[in-house]
Amino acid sequence: MVRYGVSKQVEIKVLERDDRNIRLLIRDVDIPFMNALRRTVTSEVPSMAVDDIVVLENSSVLQDEIIAHRLGLVPLKTDLKSYNLPEECSCKSEFGCNLCRVTLTLDAEAKEGTRTVYSGDLVSENPEIVPVSDKIPLIKLAKEQKLRLEAYVRLGKGKNHAKWQPVSMCAYKYFPRMTIASKRCDACGKCAEICPKRVLAKSENKIVVRDLMACTLCQDCVNACPQNPPAIEVGGEENAFIFSLDSTGALPPEKILTEAVKILDEQLKELESQIKVKKSEES
Amino acid sequence: MIIPVRCFTCGKLIGDQWEEFARRVKAGENAGEVLDGLGIKRYCCRRMLLSHVELIDEVLRFYEEAEKRKEARHYY
Ligand code: SF4
Ligand code: SF4
Ligand SMILES: [Zn+2]
Ligand SMILES: [Zn+2]
Repeated sequence: MVRYGVSKQVEIKVLERDDRNIRLLIRDVDIPFMNALRRTVTSEVPSMAVDDIVVLENSSVLQDEIIAHRLGLVPLKTDLKSYNLPEECSCKSEFGCNLCRVTLTLDAEAKEGTRTVYSGDLVSENPEIVPVSDKIPLIKLAKEQKLRLEAYVRLGKGKNHAKWQPVSMCAYKYFPRMTIASKRCDACGKCAEICPKRVLAKSENKIVVRDLMACTLCQDCVNACPQNPPAIEVGGEENAFIFSLDSTGALPPEKILTEAVKILDEQLKELESQIKVKKSEES
Repeated sequence: MIIPVRCFTCGKLIGDQWEEFARRVKAGENAGEVLDGLGIKRYCCRRMLLSHVELIDEVLRFYEEAEKRKEARHYY
């Protein structure tokens, strides 16, 4: 039976987490909800990125456009509390104000000989809004080449440009369910041999499940089984998912999730109120 | 030309890993093991480093050469 909607008790278990990535086991939700969460994370959760640049001097071998593109892709540590989205900021200015814009400056010259300019050479007006890593090569300059520019950082959403996505990967899969009919299985080991993720292993005269979470439900093991019908069955649980998320470093992974849930909640409320307005208009 | 900042496919930051990757591979380490050590798991990100040629180094040579000539002219 497929249940729609989210039941009262959603069970969430953290399978793995570090400062960039998180992997969760979520039970008692359905696909529409999981997909809504995924799409909210990739396209609605704001993060910061360089939006405009002013090139004061560029005698390097790369054109202004390439440098602008590279700067745009540099992930920046984001502060959602102190900054507004430009379209929601009270300044209503295209150029922006202190609440919706951060300026980064770069003043690099190769005095000694060829040098690499790194993301760490960018000087930010707010020490909290800095590149996630100091070691991203932006450009290489030969002796006497110069690059001077100003970059304006703004908050934005992934639906407008991928540089504003707070994640590099956000995906979910069914929680695998595996049954091995021990009566028909003769422990030939074919399924263990073919599995690309080495989920199964042959031990003595029995097949054991080594690492169920790694299973991609590819069904190779089922197809390889010489028994008819196959002694092994692989499927997904209907209401359980493994959700994984890789942050670019702009925001901590759990912050991205809580932010996504908040945004989704607001959007649903908006939808509800619009439906109510429509209904009252009709009656 | 120069190492891309992010993976073309998934958008993971890989630019900051290039110098360490290039140095270790040049020193004779196995590229696959270096990538594992750097925590680059997906094959889209792995190919970014594996297949990259830092062409900007070749381009910069022209400027370095020109600079040397200029200095030589001053000298004589
Ligand atoms: S479905 Fe694919 S990944 Fe899962 S156990 Fe079978 S062969 Fe391995
Ligand atoms: S391939 Fe089929 S019969 Fe052979 S060990 Fe696997 S489940 Fe058992
Ligand atoms: Zn403003
Ligand atoms: Zn990738």
